[in-house]
Amino acid sequence: MLNIQTRQEGNSSVVTIQGKVNFEVTAQLRDVIRDTVTTQQPKLLVINLEGVNFIDSSGLGLLVAARNSVDKNNGKLHLCGLPPQVKKTFDQTNLTNYFSIFATEQDALRGA
Amino acid sequence: MAKGVVLVVDDEAQIRDILGFYLKRADYQVLLAENGRQALEAMAKVKPDLILSDLRMPELAGDEFCQIVKGNPETRDIYFVLVSALDGTASKIGGLNLGADDMISKPFHAQEVMAKVESAFRLIAMQKEIKRQNLELTSFQERMTTELALAARLQMGLLPRSPGQAAGIRYTHRYLPAEGIGGDIYTILPAPDGGTALMIADVSGHGVTAALISAMVKTFFEAQVRLGGDPLAWARAMNQDLARNTLPEQFATAFLAHLDPATSVMRYVVAGHDAPMHIAQGSSGGFMKPELLPGKGFMLGIDEDLMFQEQSCPFEVGDRMILFTDGLVEVEREDRAFLGHDGLLRVCSELPGDAEQAVDCIVGKVQAFNAPSAFVDDVTLVVLDRQ
Repeated sequence: MLNIQTRQEGNSSVVTIQGKVNFEVTAQLRDVIRDTVTTQQPKLLVINLEGVNFIDSSGLGLLVAARNSVDKNNGKLHLCGLPPQVKKTFDQTNLTNYFSIFATEQDALRGA
Repeated sequence: MAKGVVLVVDDEAQIRDILGFYLKRADYQVLLAENGRQALEAMAKVKPDLILSDLRMPELAGDEFCQIVKGNPETRDIYFVLVSALDGTASKIGGLNLGADDMISKPFHAQEVMAKVESAFRLIAMQKEIKRQNLELTSFQERMTTELALAARLQMGLLPRSPGQAAGIRYTHRYLPAEGIGGDIYTILPAPDGGTALMIADVSGHGVTAALISAMVKTFFEAQVRLGGDPLAWARAMNQDLARNTLPEQFATAFLAHLDPATSVMRYVVAGHDAPMHIAQGSSGGFMKPELLPGKGFMLGIDEDLMFQEQSCPFEVGDRMILFTDGLVEVEREDRAFLGHDGLLRVCSELPGDAEQAVDCIVGKVQAFNAPSAFVDDVTLVVLDRQ
């Protein structure tokens, strides 16, 4: 089960994801992120992964695509709250160096 | 054109006349019969869409007639309404149990019968439409299945012949796609310098798109190898090729390597892929100490400007290398546990010396660990024995 919530914090949008991010749910998640980026055009998009217990390659691809679309709008993408399992995947793929990653949502919002 | 064909079966001429009159007036083609026997004869000439049949009739009564119609695959789709003087719920249920689609009790109002007929024809139209769509879907599905089977065969043909040999190594593999065709690919080919080049890769996503990209990955890799160069150059070029030719969220994790059999040195790049397992003297079998090769890096294809790192390790005669895609170790069991790398290291700590037996042993042990959960992602497993 995947739970996605979005909210606005000033010029920033926060997308909170909970559950397993794999091939079956990427379409749903892609729509939410695209809607958020196109309608809110946030200066900063924060994706909170605190409640994500698994992410596969499709999920990683989605985050890469999210960074691309935010870049195009001259915005920034910050990720936060990576659980150990997800952190490991990011380390293995060097994505730790591709994304701006913060420990908490507050840090991610402040890091703008 | 008539709205449809209705067969009225009743031994009372008056009832046949009344129903016939109303039905014709409402633009239906009407067939009349005095009993079930006559009705069957009429049906042999023209197949009705709907039958209004009395229950009590000489020669062949309505209940038996209904059973014959509903028992014949040719006629069972005809909408059957039993008209019965036996009122009451019990007889209605009895009639429906015979296979009749609806019941009307006698005496009836002609309007009531006509309303039932109209509603029955709406149902018939819907059923016809569903049947047509079903046929369309079935034929579409058959076409897709055939095409996928062809594509799967083609994809199998893209893999090296297993078991096989290249300069300095013997290899074998098991390839288990999740959906007939998948995004895993591996290839082994001679390098221009006399060494052996090899790659295992896993394209993000599943199915046809992933399979198409996996064929591109193989082509890009082989083109790079023929140009000479080293794994680092291959990774850089393939990364650019993939970034330019696929969508942002499409990429491949890969392990690219070059073995020089003269020096027993393997140079490699880990591009977001699970690093292979190296087992010193593993090809003699028995209890061993497998180790994951060090190294990490970006996947191929997310951004043209990304940097990669090349590493090297000894790969001596008698050593064994186990290459795999993450589908092997990322099956979530019912208790939410994953085998993971530690689990795979345990599985590979005791393997038969024979590579065919070893590769089957790994798949078997992993499946036993995951049971009853099955593999959900594409799985590729390659055993390389240095010789």
